[in-house]
Formats: sequence, structure tokens, C-alpha cells
Amino acid sequence: MNERITGLETLREIKHKVLENHRKYRLRLMLCGGTGCRASGTHSFKAALAEEIAHRGLGDEILVTETGCNGFCAVGPVMLILPEDTFYLGLRPEDVPEIVEQHLIKGRRVERLLYEDPQTKQKIPCMHDIPFFSHQLTWTMKNKGYIDPEQIDEYIARDGYAAAAQALFDMTPDEIISEVKTSGLRGRGGAGFPTGLKWDFAKGARNDTKYVLCNADEGDPGAFMDRSILESDPHSVLEGMLIAAVAIGARQGFIYCRAEYPLAIERLTIAIQQAEQRGLLGKNIMDTGTDFTIEIYKGAGAFVCGEETALMRSIEGRRGMPRPRPPFPAVSGLWEKPSLLNNVETWSSVPRIIWGGGDLYAKIGTETSKGTKVFAVTGKINNIGLVEVPMGTPIGDIIFDIGGGIPGKKRFKAAQLGGPSGGCIPAEHLNLPTDYEAIAQAGAIMGSGGMIVMDEDTCMVDMARYFMEFCQDESCGKCTPCRIGTRRMLEILENICQGKGEPGDIERLETLANSIRDTALCGLGQTAPNPVFSTLRYFMDEYKAHIFDKKCPAGVCPDLFKAPCQNGCPVEMDIPAYIALIRAGRLDDAYQVLKQTNPFPSVCGRVCGHPCQDRCRRSQLDESLAIKDLKRFITDYTTPPRVAPIPVVHTEKIAVIGAGPAGLTAALEMKKRGYEVTVFEALSEAGGMLRWGIPAYRLPREILNREIQEILDTGVVLKTDIKIGEDLRFADLESQFDAVYVSTGAQKSMPLGLDGETAEGVMGAVEFLRAWNMGEPVAVGNQVAVIGGGNSAVDAARTAVRLGADSVTMIYRREQKDMPALDAEIRAAQEEGVAIECLADPVEIVTENGRVCALKLSRMRLGSFDASGRRRPVAVEGSEYVIPVDTLIPAIGQKAELESMSDKIGRDMKKTRIHVNKDFSTSHPRVWAGGDVVTGPAMVIDAIAAGQKAAASMDKTLRTARGESPWEQAPGLIEIPFEVDEEIVEQPRAKIGELAPAHRCKGFEEVELGYDRDTAMNEARRCIRCDVKIEQG
Amino acid sequence: METITSGLPQLPDEFTPGQWQKIDIIIAAHREKPGALIPVLEQIQGVSGYLPEIIQRRVAKGLDLPLAQVYGVVTFYSFFTMKPRGRHEVRVCLGTACHVRGGHLLGKKLENTLGILPGEVDPDRLFSLDVVRCVGACGLAPVMVVDDTTFRQVKPATVDQIIAGYRNDKEAHHE
Repeated sequence: MNERITGLETLREIKHKVLENHRKYRLRLMLCGGTGCRASGTHSFKAALAEEIAHRGLGDEILVTETGCNGFCAVGPVMLILPEDTFYLGLRPEDVPEIVEQHLIKGRRVERLLYEDPQTKQKIPCMHDIPFFSHQLTWTMKNKGYIDPEQIDEYIARDGYAAAAQALFDMTPDEIISEVKTSGLRGRGGAGFPTGLKWDFAKGARNDTKYVLCNADEGDPGAFMDRSILESDPHSVLEGMLIAAVAIGARQGFIYCRAEYPLAIERLTIAIQQAEQRGLLGKNIMDTGTDFTIEIYKGAGAFVCGEETALMRSIEGRRGMPRPRPPFPAVSGLWEKPSLLNNVETWSSVPRIIWGGGDLYAKIGTETSKGTKVFAVTGKINNIGLVEVPMGTPIGDIIFDIGGGIPGKKRFKAAQLGGPSGGCIPAEHLNLPTDYEAIAQAGAIMGSGGMIVMDEDTCMVDMARYFMEFCQDESCGKCTPCRIGTRRMLEILENICQGKGEPGDIERLETLANSIRDTALCGLGQTAPNPVFSTLRYFMDEYKAHIFDKKCPAGVCPDLFKAPCQNGCPVEMDIPAYIALIRAGRLDDAYQVLKQTNPFPSVCGRVCGHPCQDRCRRSQLDESLAIKDLKRFITDYTTPPRVAPIPVVHTEKIAVIGAGPAGLTAALEMKKRGYEVTVFEALSEAGGMLRWGIPAYRLPREILNREIQEILDTGVVLKTDIKIGEDLRFADLESQFDAVYVSTGAQKSMPLGLDGETAEGVMGAVEFLRAWNMGEPVAVGNQVAVIGGGNSAVDAARTAVRLGADSVTMIYRREQKDMPALDAEIRAAQEEGVAIECLADPVEIVTENGRVCALKLSRMRLGSFDASGRRRPVAVEGSEYVIPVDTLIPAIGQKAELESMSDKIGRDMKKTRIHVNKDFSTSHPRVWAGGDVVTGPAMVIDAIAAGQKAAASMDKTLRTARGESPWEQAPGLIEIPFEVDEEIVEQPRAKIGELAPAHRCKGFEEVELGYDRDTAMNEARRCIRCDVKIEQG
Repeated sequence: METITSGLPQLPDEFTPGQWQKIDIIIAAHREKPGALIPVLEQIQGVSGYLPEIIQRRVAKGLDLPLAQVYGVVTFYSFFTMKPRGRHEVRVCLGTACHVRGGHLLGKKLENTLGILPGEVDPDRLFSLDVVRCVGACGLAPVMVVDDTTFRQVKPATVDQIIAGYRNDKEAHHE
């Protein structure tokens, strides 16, 4: 061992010896010792493993190797077993006996330690079958996880230093540079400058002393590929630098590495020592007379030192401040000598380009961006880690195929590319190829490859503020635009996030951003405004919400809301207050709190889509609170106080068309403000979709009737069986009333658009549910198919089960996880025997004698991304199949019918929606609109919110006309207790009781039973009261 | 304010003669090397824990550099500190990956638990708290680092437990 290497021959001998040695072992266990896995406990596991292997006498047949970073960092420690490719993750010392006994001795895999596909729940034993790895193409990272980075021979065994030998013995400097040029490699540090060209410049500079520099000052937050490469394959970087040194004629190299990467520095140090011992670095390399020494230089923590001129200043022992270029470093760099600087990823790509040929590399990637790129995929994503893909791979493929998508049922919002110098890519651009030019056009930069995934809970204004704070903090202070400009921009952003934003702030930000971009000295300053540019480009709405409404829709900016649950609620119910009151046993007070903002608490306690729960901070610990069920508990255990009529004090009269939740809420709100209100309803009873759409097993009618009656008790006049356009002309309403609120809902099912839709046995979900709920005769056949995946589809399917259908199948064109229906509803339907057929779409309705008898379906596959950020289902050619169907219920959407409305109200082309302004006013000066007629099918709570906001706007308009100031609701006088458990113990959400599926399928009895007192109290205690802000001393 | 009156400044109690000796050895080893200032300061901080004015003067004199350059470098790089540190250095990562996964909540919680703000040290110099920009462990976000130990996926609720571990450690040392 340790013999001097003199050329390809000795390298081959070493390779042969290493491989020979590997063959002596039956199994080789490659245990990850990267920073991530170490933090998760690699060493305690390794010690236990070594001991057990020795104890069982397996030392001669099993070799344990600690490798560098494997890239799959979040599930560590991970271990790859060679040659069979078994991949274990999340290893703990206590797993050792089982692994040794079962796998190493008996040859049976330990199932529980294998990777589980989050969707199919299937175990995937082999590393190369796991989607995270199988979609990757490794070039730069081909050795990661396969070698011990502290053993140079292992690197040599994978053809290490062969490229350097080739460069030294068989190639001229021009040939080397030409090969790099052929490869099309561009600098991976961010700017993407052609690497071969840079080398050419450095070679052309005439000077006896030249330097080769490696930028390992990986400062972009969220990017850690350089760290990983240095930890797992340090020799690839050294070899790349050596090849460049040969090409340009340098004898000294420096690696500038962040001090925050101690393990990378340690491994580099070892690698340099070993390379020197072997004659691969230092004096007289491979006996050719070439000298090249590499020194490591530890960065002391300054982001700007990633900029090349600043980095060189820092090596010189000074403040790392950039200087203007030219002269470029290739002419005058470190100590004013010609210097060639590339980053870690670029250097480590070089050896294989020389050894395999530049044309091989150039075959990968796109026209302008060749080869592969490593991305550090982090943030709100399932498979956090490092991935290497061909350039041009769509961003959505990286996030969803390799990254495994967004955790929870959260929606993808944007991915930040290029860190603080980059920009965000929103959902509508998920098909964007990862190509330098395409990304730049979309307003971001490739940067060093940091890809931070953000979901709906991320506030984009806060994100811009965060990056601006970063740049401001890291500004070296040399030039004024960056030093002062970023501070001014930060102040504006901070004000916006604190609710102190003013009109004109957006324009001020744009002006500042433009001048900083145009005038700052270095890349850090010039790119500092990028996050602001891109968030303004894609998320202007969020800026406006912060500035004009003083709201943070994502629930991040703490000054703009009290608790995230309340912020997520469309009517901003005071959730922490009523939960605290449950805990204190003051249920009557809790009921009053409910009623302050929501006239339908019993309804919402049963059927609300509960956006509040998705925001609950408790989910960071275990599970979110059961806010919906607690709301229902309050209404179950209190007797509502009698409602007194409210006197009319104004002369203006208000008409509401449509007695659904939006209309009734608006009516009540106007009544509260002292108006005479009349509600016109086309059907026989009030309630809208709550009565005619939602089945009674979810919402018992006596509950609904009670809450409607409480509204009518205030003196709101209800006129049923009056259809506008038939029983009463819209023009009459206009003349008789001072303000009209249109909330007629979306009552008609969207057609599938197939022939045969008028056949007997085909009925839209809304029509089907309405007929049944009105007591009309409804016959379902034996084989029912429901098309769609929303709540109406589930309601129709579960109703069909109760009406005696033999089989009910829901057909949905995407995957089950994409279904818009509530998870609990989908689960309940499945328990009741509803089958779910995903990735299928009807193509033909087969009829016989005017009756549906079968349905022809096409298999679907998920193609490219649509504007909503979901994969678009595409029919698989030739995959059609037929299922027998005698009842077909399309539930793919609903629309409104607005033929009878005045033309003065803005409607869309098909007259299926009304266009409204932000305050729910329409283009008609005396007409407002809200609810499903504006939005299409939405949650009950959205309709209630629409009614409240429209009422406030109507009242404000009428008051302004009278010259009065706005109305204010009397503040609640209920004192809210503050009591929390001293210690928060993990405890899952309390389950709500349900009728057994076999029993509940027989009728329309309410399925959910509600909490009893003890369960509700315990659940209420889980609230961590994040609404209470502790004053900082 | 220290002033140089006669030769070397007076040694404060904080640094032992052994520490000064190590500091001088580090300076001497780099005296002739260009660009040695940053490695020298880094190694000295490893010995002394922080770089007060008295040490900066010693370095300036030893390397024959203007004090302004030494001070300029110390204040430029975040790795260097002129304030004493706690026995345990608690660093909360506010890199982007940690930020979007709740790093700022973790930071607030640490401030409350330790009773100090970032950049401060507690009165008995047991803990100091710092905010750092990305420790490159984004796969484990949010992370906090205590001395050399990285804690992965830390939730605000588990902060007390982690800190208590180090406090108890201290009590054990004293008893």
C-alpha cells in the first residue's frame, strides 16, 4: 500500500486490488456518514453494528464502510447493502440484532426498515427502484454513497485520477480545454459562464504564477450540494483542479471552504494528504515534473465571499469586499495573479468529462444547458435531499416525482430557485425546464441549485422580506445602492408585513429594486432585488392583501392576525376564545362567541370544510385540533337563547334573492343594521344547498331548521316559491327595493359533454340530491356510477348506497389523493362500500332503448402540469374498457342559471357566473351578489363570509348616501380565560363517534355522533393557545 | 479602554498565561505568511473563545499589521466575535429551508427558554444564542446546533428538553 502512482498502469493495479478485496466479502454495507445522517445517529448505529458483526464472527464476510453523504438526508441514517442494492433507512442501534440475524445471516430483508411509498404504502427494497433515486441521473455524484471518502484507493477503484493521468501524459493543454469546451459545461456556481472559455482565458494570461481556486463557500441558504460532494467524494474536486492546473500552467491551488462545514474540511484535509503521499499532488506529480499543491482556506462567515473578487480578497487576509471588474480574475486575481475560479460542483464534473469525453456529457441536457445539475430540494416537500438530473428536467418532475410532492394535503405554492439572488417559480410554471435561459425568463436564476419548495402556508411577502433581510445583513457595505438601498427596501417590506404598508409602497419597491439592480457593484447587490421582483410578478395579490386589507392570507406575519386558525377562517371566528371557554366549562358564553360571527354554528360544526384545522399550529407537534367537532359540541350542549325581533330604523328596503347560507346571512346582517329585509326563495323552503344538496345523514334537518328560524325570528321576511323572472320580474325588484343581493347559488350540474346524457338513468348530482331531498320519487338502479371527486360526488354516492344500489362506484380522472372532497367523507364512503376508480374518465355513454346500460371509460395517466399545479390527466390510447351501469350521476361541477337577471349585472359569457368587485358590488349600482353564484361551488363558510361582506358593503353605500358614518358591531363582553397545561404532551386528536357502516347505510340517520363532555374537554385542552402573544421583555 | 503604555498590555484575568502562550505560538507560526490574518484569528478564537481588543492588539503587533485591518477583519466576518460566548453555544438556523419549516418559531422559543436574545450570553455564561444562516443541514430542517451537535427537526415543544439536558450536565459537573 501507499506506493507512489506513476501513471495509468499503477492506477489500474490499485483498482484491481480494491475490487479483488471487495469480492472477498459476501456483503458490503455502505453506511452514510454525511452531516445529515451523522446528526441522526450514524455513529451509535455503526458501533453497535460493528460489535454485533464481530460477535457473530461475520467479520470475514461482511464489510462495513462509512460513506459520504448519500443525498437522501431527511430519513437518515441510511445504509445501502451491496451488491444486492437493499436500502435501509431511519436506522437505530436497537435495529442491529434484527438486521444481523435476519438479513446478514438468514438473507431475509427487514421489512419495517425499508422505504415505504407514501402513496401506495408498498415497501420498496432496492435503492434503484425508489422514485427518489430512479429518476436521477448521476454524473457529478456518481460516487456518492459508494466509496469511503477517506480512502483514496476506493476513489481510484472507480477510475479516479485516470483523467488526471490522461491529461498529464496524453493531452496538450489545448486538448484538455477543447474537451471541456466540447462538453458545454457551464459554471455551476450560479452565473453559468462557459467553463472551457474561462480556462482558455486563464491559460492565455501570461504570468509565471497562476492560481487555481475552488469556491466552496456555499452560502445560499438551502443549497448543500457542495458540502455533500466534499464529504462524499473529495478527490473528484482535487482531480478536477489538478486537470485545470495542467491546462493553464498553475502550481498552487486554494480551496475556500466555509468554516460551517467542519466535516467537509476534515475529509478534504485527509484527501489532500493521501493524494500527496501517492504523488498525485505536490511536487513532481506522477513523476512528470509537474508540481501542484492545494491548500484549504477556511472562510469566516461572509456570504459576499462567494463572489469571486471578494473571495480572493478574503484569502489575502482582508475584508471580503468585491471590486469592480475588469480586470477579470483570469488576468488579475488573487495577489494580482491570473486566477481560475470554479465552484465545487463544476470541479467535480471535470474528471469524467476528460475521461469519458466531452461529447458524452454534451449529449445530456438541452441546447444551451448541457449535462446534469444537482439540486438541493428542501422546504415543504416529502423527500428532502440532493438530486442530480439532466438539465432541462421540468421543475414539477423534480418536486413531484423525485421529491414525492408536498406533505399533508397542502397545495404547492412556489419554489424558490437560486436562493436570495433568485426568484420563485409558481404553480403555473411547473412544466418549466431546468435550463439556464428558461429559468431566467421565468424570473428566477439557476443559481447554485437550491430549490426551496413552499406550500400554501408560506407568505410570499414574508419570503421577500426574509431574503431582503438576508441580503441587507450580508451586504459588505462597499457600494451605496446595496448598503442603503437594501435597507430602504427592507424597511418598506417590514412595514408591509407589520400592517403598516401604505399605498405607493409597491411602486417605491419597484423603483428601488430597479436602481439597485442597475447600479450595485457586484452580483450580490445586483441580484438582491430579485426575490421582490418575482414575488411582485406572481403574487401581487398577497402584497395588496397586506397593504390594503392588513391581512396575511397565509397566516405567517404575526402582526396581521391573532391565531392562524382564526386567520384561515373566512368569517374569522374567534376559535381560540370558544375553545378556551369549553375548557373553562362556560358553554353558554362559548355559544355566544360562535354566534357573533356565524349564524350557522350547528351547521358548520357538521359540514364545514374547516380551513381552520389545516392551519392549526398544534399539527407541528402531533395533530391539529378537531375545531369543527368542538364547535358542534358547543351547539349540542347549549340551549340557544330566544331571539328577539330587531326594530327597523332605516327607510331603505333590502331584497335578497335566494335563501341559501349566503342570502340568509346577508339578510340577517342587514336586519341587525336596522333595515327591512325580504328574502325571495324559488323553492318551497329556505336553506339552499344546505337543505337541497347536503344529505340528512350529514346535516339533520331539525338542526338546520332551528338556525334558519333564529334568523327569521329577528324579523327577516321570507317569501318562498317565488322565482325571479317567472313570479316576479327583476325590474320590479329594482323599482321596489333600494338594494338587492343576489345569492341564487349554482344549481345546475355541469354536463359531461357526451352523447346520451339525456338518456333515462342519467341525472346530475345536484338534481339527484335535490329530487331526493324534496321527497320526489327517485329510483337508483343496481349499478350506480358517479363521475367526479368532490363533495357533491361523495354525497351522491353515499345517498345512492342508502337508496339501495347494489354497487356504487366513483369514477375520478386523477389520483385519489387529488380528490377535492374531504378526506373524512371519502373514508366514510369507502366504509359504506363505495368503490373508487381513479385515473379513469368516461368517453361514451352506452344506451339501450333510450336507457343508459353501460359506460365506456378510458384509462388516464398524469401528464404535464396544468395552471393549478396539478398534473393534467391524459387519456391512455387504446385503454378503453366498458363497465355495466344503469344509473349515471355526473358530479363534475355546478353552474348558475342567470337568464332572468338584469343585463346591467356583469355576467360571464355563458351567463353562469356573476362578476363582482372586491366588496361584492356588481356593475349595477344597486345590486350586490355573493355565494356560489359568484364563485361556483364552495364551502358553506365561504357563502356565509360572502353574505357578511356584501351586507357591510350595502350598508356602507346606503349610509354614505345618507351622510352617516359606518356601522360598528357592539364588541363582545365575554372575558376569555387563559389557561394552558404546564407541559404539552403529545396526544392525538380525539376521534368522534360514528354509527357503524352496516347500520348507517340503511337510512339517513346522522352518522357522526358528536363528542361527549369529557372527550370535548380533553380535546379543548390540546389547544396550545398560540393566539396569546407573550410580551418580550 | 485598553491603552498601550509599556510594551505589552496588562493581561486580564480572563486569559491564563497558558492561553497567552498558545496565542503567541499561533502568531509566530504565521508571521511570514501572506494572508495569514484570518487563519490566525480563527485559531486564536479557538483558544480564547472570543477576540477582544486586547487580543486584536497582540495580533496586529505580532503580524505587523495596522490594528485597523485586524479590527476590520474581525468585525467583517460573522465567525469572529468580540463578546464572550457561553459555555454552550446554541445556534438556531434561519436558512431558508429552516425558515419555511418553522425555524423562526424555534428561535422565539429559544429566546424565551434561555432568556436572552441572539448575540447575547446569559449572566452565568452557560449559554449564548446565535442565529446562523444555513448550516447546510437543510434535509433536517428546522435545526438547532448546540456546540457541535446538530438537533434535527426540532419542534418548539422539545426545546426545553434539549436545553435542560445541557443545564443538568452543568449541574453534574459542579457536584
